[in-house]
Amino acid sequence: MKEEESLEKLKNAILGGDSLKAIDWVNESINMGIPVKEILNKAILKGAEEAGNLYENDEYFLPDLLMTGDAITAATEILKNSLNEKSELESKGTILIGTVEGDIHDIGKTLVISLLKGQGFNVIDLGSDVPPEEFLRKAKEINPILIGLSGLMTMSISKMLETIKLLKSENITSRIIVGGGILSKESCEMIGADDFAKDGWEGVKKINNLI
Amino acid sequence: MVKDWVASVNRIFRTISGSKRVDKVPFLAFAGEQMICRVTGKTVKELYSSPKIYANAIITTFEFLNADSINVPSAYAGPSEALAFAEANNKLDAIKWFDYQPLMCKQGEICKSEEDIETLEIPNHSKNDLWKTSLLAAKMINEKTKFPQVISLSIWSVVQELRGIEAYRDIRRNPDLLLKLCEKIYESQMDIYENWLEIVGMPPNVFIAGYSFNRHMMSFQDSMRYEGQFIKRMMNKIKVPFMLHNCGTSPYFTEVVKEIDFIAVNGSHPLDIGYWIDFKKKFPKIAIIGANIDVSREMLTGNPSDVEKKVKENILNLALGGRYICCPVCSLPWGVPIPNILAIPKAIEKYGHYPIKIN
Repeated sequence: MKEEESLEKLKNAILGGDSLKAIDWVNESINMGIPVKEILNKAILKGAEEAGNLYENDEYFLPDLLMTGDAITAATEILKNSLNEKSELESKGTILIGTVEGDIHDIGKTLVISLLKGQGFNVIDLGSDVPPEEFLRKAKEINPILIGLSGLMTMSISKMLETIKLLKSENITSRIIVGGGILSKESCEMIGADDFAKDGWEGVKKINNLI
Repeated sequence: MVKDWVASVNRIFRTISGSKRVDKVPFLAFAGEQMICRVTGKTVKELYSSPKIYANAIITTFEFLNADSINVPSAYAGPSEALAFAEANNKLDAIKWFDYQPLMCKQGEICKSEEDIETLEIPNHSKNDLWKTSLLAAKMINEKTKFPQVISLSIWSVVQELRGIEAYRDIRRNPDLLLKLCEKIYESQMDIYENWLEIVGMPPNVFIAGYSFNRHMMSFQDSMRYEGQFIKRMMNKIKVPFMLHNCGTSPYFTEVVKEIDFIAVNGSHPLDIGYWIDFKKKFPKIAIIGANIDVSREMLTGNPSDVEKKVKENILNLALGGRYICCPVCSLPWGVPIPNILAIPKAIEKYGHYPIKIN
């Protein structure tokens, strides 16, 4: 089998959200001696990108993106384990993420984390119902390139504002993105975030733009 | 001035039914526990401590907001239903209480595994304290204001609470299991309805929180499969008109009203007023509750004048011929300035009296 064919099969497994096939084809590609970066860029990320395009064209929906995210996670785990030198697959940076205090919804956040990890980011998830002080403590500890605040409830906007105010008052310079269907350009500006995203896929795209 | 609830009842229900005997555009507000706490100074647990305290706090809040509507926020198939399931299945650890906002369920905790779904017990709402309090409060509000309380039911909202993100994997990986969960939730919703009938009486309408009807969530076909078919079954059982609420940003309103016979739709998206003008033309017998007044935009970040402009835009474009109710969507968050909320009834007073004057 040719290298292109193996990568194409892996890409299709990612696109189809088939984790088992993705594992098979990533192993096959590694065994064929295809460089890790090539597997990542030509198959895994390409599959993710095509899934995103289908989502934007209303041909894919949240369940499909989630399955794609799972397949990416499965495939990249195999890739990481196969590396001889860590530098071959460098992290694109650390992102700190969490659902703000008073809100424990996490569906959108989980999707974002899965897709970001697949794209090579190191993601630290603080979980749900996270107080502003906890975001600050962790941000000081790990100095993330970006902080993502998630929330579903309309009431979460006030907590996002409080969290961002605290982070800025303590001179945290990480870019800040807020995510949730409740958000708008106006509310994003009001709370002082660098950008906002209304759903998981939009979040991943905007995070890549911000960084 | 004493609130004239009878006038509000007429305004709201006549508008929904398309009657011409309406004096002005009604104002429907979603005031959740957070707003009720804010207005009355009580904590959520104080509100829930007795039906009388709860009912009075709700009446005080809706009268303060000068709204034409009134409802019991916890009598809704979201967190309260998750609480009932948690209690029936000994999983109260999944519930988190707050002082000044509604309780929440850790999504996916109650139905973590397939076995959890298979063995899931249907709650008996007559034994759940919060539901008992909520239904008795609804009855008191009925009696005090003469505003007939509308029952709110849902399927997907509860699926998300119980199964969390796994529900979206189930759509592709395990649809039969997901349908089994939907079926159990349907049964539970019918138990709420039976209790409602017994305590509150026959509702004038059913308000469906149809959260699956959103492009961001799933395909329209899937939303019909996992929610739509159950709503049709509810309609066969509950012979009153149904309204559809979806506060998502990509709702399937146009698609769903072709499949299910709703008397009204309620949402704040799309933001393009042109969509709503077109909707009214295509479906003249379906009332619009809301259109494009979103609580996270001018309501939250603007001033009363911005809100007035938005209300004016909605009224001038959608109130002609009736069947339009002004409604910011969704729940009014903590940070919304009170003057911005009060700007809505003021703007209605200015522009919303029938006959509507376009100029």
